[in-house]
Amino acid sequence: MITRMLKLAVVSLLGLFAAINTSYSQSVLEVAAEVDRLLDQQTQPSSNNLCNDEIYLRRLFLDITGKTPSLDDILVFNLETHPEKRTKVAEILLQDPDYGANWGRFWRDVIYYRRSNDQILLGASVAENYFKDTLNTNTPWDQFATDLITALGDIREDGSTALIAAQQGRPEETVSEISRIFLGIQIQCAQCHDHPTDRWKQEQFHELAAFFPRVAVRPQMDPRTFLVYAVDRIRFQPRTNNNRFMGTLEHRMPNFEDPATPGPQVTPKFFLNDQQLPLGSTDMDRRNMLARWITSPDNPWFAKAAVNRMWSELVGEGFHEPVDDMGPDREAIAPAAFDYLAAKFTESGYDMKWLIATIVSTQHYQLESQDRRPYDQLPFQANTVQPLRSDQLMDAILNTLRFPELPERAELGIRRQFAETFGYDPNNIREEVAGTIPQALMLMNAEVIHRQITARSGTMLGNLLSEVSNDRQALQELYLKTLSRRPNRKELATNLQYIQQVDNRGEAFEDIFWALINTSEFKTRN
Amino acid sequence: MSTSKLNRRELIQRTLFGTTAISAWQANIIGQATTMQSNATSCILLWMGGAPSQLDTWDPKPGTVNAGAAQAIPTALTDVQISDRLPETAKAMKDVCLLRGMHGPEGSHPRASYWAQTGYLPSASIKHPTIGSHVSHHIGNPNADLPSFVRIGAGRNLTGAGLLGVDHDPFKIANPNQKPANTQIPTTKPRFTRRLSLLEQLEQDSSRTGADHWTKSNRKVYGKATRMITSPLMEAFDLEQENVASRESYGEGNFAAGCLMARRLIESGVTFVEVTSGNWDTHFDNYERTTDLCQQVDRPYARLLEDLKDRGMLDTTLVIWMGEFGRTPRINARGGRDHFPRAYSIALAGCGVRGGQVIGRTSDSGEEILEGKNSVPNLLTTIYDKLGIDAFHENMSSVGRPIRVVENGALIEGV
Repeated sequence: MITRMLKLAVVSLLGLFAAINTSYSQSVLEVAAEVDRLLDQQTQPSSNNLCNDEIYLRRLFLDITGKTPSLDDILVFNLETHPEKRTKVAEILLQDPDYGANWGRFWRDVIYYRRSNDQILLGASVAENYFKDTLNTNTPWDQFATDLITALGDIREDGSTALIAAQQGRPEETVSEISRIFLGIQIQCAQCHDHPTDRWKQEQFHELAAFFPRVAVRPQMDPRTFLVYAVDRIRFQPRTNNNRFMGTLEHRMPNFEDPATPGPQVTPKFFLNDQQLPLGSTDMDRRNMLARWITSPDNPWFAKAAVNRMWSELVGEGFHEPVDDMGPDREAIAPAAFDYLAAKFTESGYDMKWLIATIVSTQHYQLESQDRRPYDQLPFQANTVQPLRSDQLMDAILNTLRFPELPERAELGIRRQFAETFGYDPNNIREEVAGTIPQALMLMNAEVIHRQITARSGTMLGNLLSEVSNDRQALQELYLKTLSRRPNRKELATNLQYIQQVDNRGEAFEDIFWALINTSEFKTRN
Repeated sequence: MSTSKLNRRELIQRTLFGTTAISAWQANIIGQATTMQSNATSCILLWMGGAPSQLDTWDPKPGTVNAGAAQAIPTALTDVQISDRLPETAKAMKDVCLLRGMHGPEGSHPRASYWAQTGYLPSASIKHPTIGSHVSHHIGNPNADLPSFVRIGAGRNLTGAGLLGVDHDPFKIANPNQKPANTQIPTTKPRFTRRLSLLEQLEQDSSRTGADHWTKSNRKVYGKATRMITSPLMEAFDLEQENVASRESYGEGNFAAGCLMARRLIESGVTFVEVTSGNWDTHFDNYERTTDLCQQVDRPYARLLEDLKDRGMLDTTLVIWMGEFGRTPRINARGGRDHFPRAYSIALAGCGVRGGQVIGRTSDSGEEILEGKNSVPNLLTTIYDKLGIDAFHENMSSVGRPIRVVENGALIEGV
């Protein structure tokens, strides 16, 4: 088996490390080392080992590209002796278009799982593509935020409208989402009453909403879509805030005593720097100014929100949890490391690929994985096991089963089934993401999967069994293809014994393949 | 539920599972089981998606301009008339409590549907649970073979468990005339069992570090899924098991099949079943389209009430008939009716609801509520009260904010 794989591997080996653009490596490695040092100081050096290369590679591939490594990838990586090969592979993967595809879907979910209207799903694939392109070209994060905050246009043409459209442009919901995603602050709790635990006041929430009254989202027919647009002149001024097809010129405080009557007009004012705009400002002045204040290097919340979320996704535990609820008066876990990394991210010009390369280069990212720690144990002693998102699982299955060329529409159909069954809101703490019965039923019984795990000729398993006659070697390859690692001694023994008992090689291997796809390991990333 | 009933049912399942020989005394208990309900209370929600016209269903205004072509017929109740296109329902009115004074704050389908199902307006930060999820959470039996919340039909704008977590999400059946997705074992049963033990062994053999949580939860979910699909109670999903006369008595169409399946599921220990009927959004050709829709809904609804009653299940099963709002009493230029949350009707039956009465009255034009005005929080409070669920119970949102089952609701008197 090794010779067969080597042939494939040598081809890619030649190209791999030669093509590395090492523009980041220096600053990435330095900052990663400093983050490790600060973390060790504040928590305590972990007694866990760094994970081995096989685990690291699967973890990294899933985290960056959303896919599992191929057999070649694993082999090439094992053979490579470069001392910084882990960081280098990360940088190569960040140049792969799959990086944008994976994280584009992630940001789509971050926004769309909080939609307040299902009709807006019409724009989901456009938004996903827009995020993908933005991430692949590595648009600075402040520009990304600005584009989302100032978006205008048709949701089926311009993906930057996603955040506003998901809340139908309602000022209160839209600014809550902007605050949650780009500042890590749940200011909407002050919507109806002063915040019970934080210091933001109801008035400050409505002052933030006052940046958005002129935005409206209007449904269109032929073709069916929604337009995000803004009005600076209105013939009939509606008296209440709740007029989303038209927009209103100014935001009003709700009148809680008598909800039918309008409250007083509110001046747009940003609660983190107390700067304001006069009533009567145009929509674009409002939103441009808000975007500038939010993304300003003087506003530490912006960089921190991004760092906290990415760290939490990659290491499995955030400096603050939930990821989008950081303040104002809460202490981060390991604040020195957190502040330092956020400052460096700001210095990088909000370079998202730099941030990811840096985080995965830390020793803390590379630690062996553990379940989520109990709250009374030290933080950041391990990487945390995470359930795969539906798209990652779908791609893992497509990769492993090596489906015949699926027509695009068929693939979309399966992807939708996976999203329906395995999707979860990535804003939530992963521990709360539970397995469900329909998930188990799908992996155990779905015909679309079952057809492909058979040993008939033409399938992945069929080819494997006809090319590799030695059971032990076939098992090794099957494990590498499904779990991206070799089986251990116990697993080999169990499987060999099983093959003997069943006394039908094809059937036995089908059962093993079925079992591997249904293990918790296949559905998680270690 | 009484403990003796529960224990008996568990016993039945244990003895049934994997055995072929049934002794006389076992058969005796099984005979009882088919009519025995496991839950103290259960609920069936008939969801009329798109917002049904009250003037063409529960609150006709015969002889007025707003009625259009719609006529009314007498019902089993003196002085109460409903649409002439609901003749079977008219006969069943002794069991129905009709609420004609519903009103709501929202006129858009997604927002009003969310409101009607959760009692809250949608927000980005908190995902409120739908009725079935609350019911599953409070009175569902977590150890039952079948899921406690089943949703039949592919409706739009339906919400899920939200902050209660996926255990209380609906198990979805897209089409009641087909087997539920992925519940057919793709191999022989012995081979399936063999595979499951191999899976179990390989999970134990794995040397990966610290993934107990996921391994355990995987084992638990596979156990539940396997128990479900190998359970004899799965027959509840198979309408072929019902005799022809009984199937025909519910009428034709997916909604009828859904109602029949709902009864079978409740009988088999499911606590909450939602059956959806769609396309009530009649902005044009309202009369023709509501005629067709009434025909799809009338007989199954009336038959469901009758069937539950005949089986002694209506006393413990609440049947809710509702949509997200009503439709404009005035007919528009295209012969349609538009969105109207200001005055609409819903119907309750069973589970201690006093049938044979109408609460609420609208003006002759149908545009104003004259008495018995109620909104969704009152309705939900009343529904939960009938089901024995504490409407004041607080659940925690992900950002640590307590969220009541119902906010600002009061019991509707007389129901």
